[in-house]
Amino acid sequence: MGTRLYIRPDLKNSVMFCGWPGIGNIGINAIDSLRRALRAKEFGRIEPWDFFDPGEVLIENGLLTDLKFPTNKFYFQRVKNQDLIFFIGQQQPTEGRTRYAEGQKAYQMANLVLDVAAEFDCRRVYTSGAAVTQIHHTSKSRVWAVPNNQNLVEEVKQYENTVLMSAIEGPRGQGVITGLNGLLLGVAKKRGLEAICVMGEIPYYLQGAPWPYPKGSRSVIEVLTKILCIDIDLGKLDELARSAEENIEGFLESLYRTEGIPPEVRDEIERLRDIGPTEPGPITEEEQKKIMEHIDELFDQGGRKDERHL
Amino acid sequence: MKDIFKFSEQPEFENPSLIVGWHEDAGRLSPRVIEYLNKKINAKSFCEIELLGFFTLAGVAIENNIAQFPECRFYHGQRNDLLVFGGSEPQFERHKFLDAIVDLAQHYCRTRELYTVNGTISPIAHTDPRKILAVFNQQEFQKRLRGYGLQDMNWKGPPAISSHLLWIAQRRGIPGVSLWTEIPFYLAACEDSQAVKTTLGFLDQKFDLGLDFGELDEQIAEQNGKMAQLREEEPSIDRCIGMLESGLSLSGEEQMELTRAVTGFLEQG
Repeated sequence: MGTRLYIRPDLKNSVMFCGWPGIGNIGINAIDSLRRALRAKEFGRIEPWDFFDPGEVLIENGLLTDLKFPTNKFYFQRVKNQDLIFFIGQQQPTEGRTRYAEGQKAYQMANLVLDVAAEFDCRRVYTSGAAVTQIHHTSKSRVWAVPNNQNLVEEVKQYENTVLMSAIEGPRGQGVITGLNGLLLGVAKKRGLEAICVMGEIPYYLQGAPWPYPKGSRSVIEVLTKILCIDIDLGKLDELARSAEENIEGFLESLYRTEGIPPEVRDEIERLRDIGPTEPGPITEEEQKKIMEHIDELFDQGGRKDERHL
Repeated sequence: MKDIFKFSEQPEFENPSLIVGWHEDAGRLSPRVIEYLNKKINAKSFCEIELLGFFTLAGVAIENNIAQFPECRFYHGQRNDLLVFGGSEPQFERHKFLDAIVDLAQHYCRTRELYTVNGTISPIAHTDPRKILAVFNQQEFQKRLRGYGLQDMNWKGPPAISSHLLWIAQRRGIPGVSLWTEIPFYLAACEDSQAVKTTLGFLDQKFDLGLDFGELDEQIAEQNGKMAQLREEEPSIDRCIGMLESGLSLSGEEQMELTRAVTGFLEQG
């Protein structure tokens, strides 16, 4: 179980950005888009076999030529005198029962990531994920930010289009961040390292959808590029966001038309269309639960069937 | 690593070949091959893998009225050039589990070659001969086994546990092959004695085991008799099997119907 570094770049006072798959793949798509835009170079990886099962085998003419595991790679780049590290994980380590990281393996993974942060003089870590909330898919996603120490609160308040948990959940600002995004924040805190989780909003009725939600990723990138004082071309992401919105509209329309979901659920989703994100949610928790029962059932029906393994 | 193994004795080996089979398999091929092989070579278990950490151990499963429990054992017979492993697929820590198997095979037994036995579902009729498809982890080993009638496999997709094991052996420089014997899809849930015999036939030839197939031949004859009876009683089943025998494919619905009918009929005893 370990990390393999191919090169040891000379990084000073670096900032690390971490992305994993999660709801709407908002976090990983945001961080990976940023990494690609900045042309960060790969410099190491966490060996996957102690954390993951292989996902694909390649057999050609009777020879086993490759066994592919989910990758967990480190990249670096220097931008405007800032040393940046990116960590992109294709899967969250689990103990086999849940979709998101938890347990011993997740803790080990979080520590391996932060070992690399420490080795390359990292001063701060950003993780990114999704904030499930009552917005409509035509609305712009806000970013929810959770720092791991009080000193960062004032800074976070200055970020554009960003809210603290207290703005969502009331003065006590409570909530839970599941998976590695949350765990890394906690382990960083334990190790005395500053960390902030930035989460792009996704409509709650899409949280079980098998598609990405680029709108949420775009909002996260907007915040991160402002923090870094850099500009990157977001044209491709905008295109993806437009196309995703059209697809979601089409999907919901077809459900409404075929009465795939009851009319009252349709009305509840449509009530969100004209509500701004700063306004209180128009749907009660009971209503939200009812909608989720219908929508999740539909997404489950499209789930992958068991495949043949060789 | 030491804690993973529980030895009951410490036999000596002379660069043995390791034959690996799993308890769950299409046509019950893998468990039957290991069981038959062990019986015929008078093999006994000398080491088992501790289950803790690899299985949920949350109660027991029941099959055919009997409580089942995971079991992962190494066996040896009178010949010191053969090592057999039969086990349940681990539910957790698959890489660690497979690494342990290869570790014991390599460091304790000084294994020179690895063979895994498996069934693969195929759109053939039970009256067709069973081919053995093969996946090697070294080209040299592939060349050495030319002449045994194995057919090269091509595949891209989710890996089975045997492919994972083969890959670990490859990284450690141990030549290995996964043998995938064809199972007619409608016998996948039952036992395919013909495929078991085909696989054992390869092992018999490769290791000069002098196996007696009398018991298996009886089972094959019995199953073929039952299948003939079913074909006679059910014209639609006879038509489907006839199509497969002619190299024609069946619709999804026909495949389901055939599988249901054959499984139900053979399970009745």
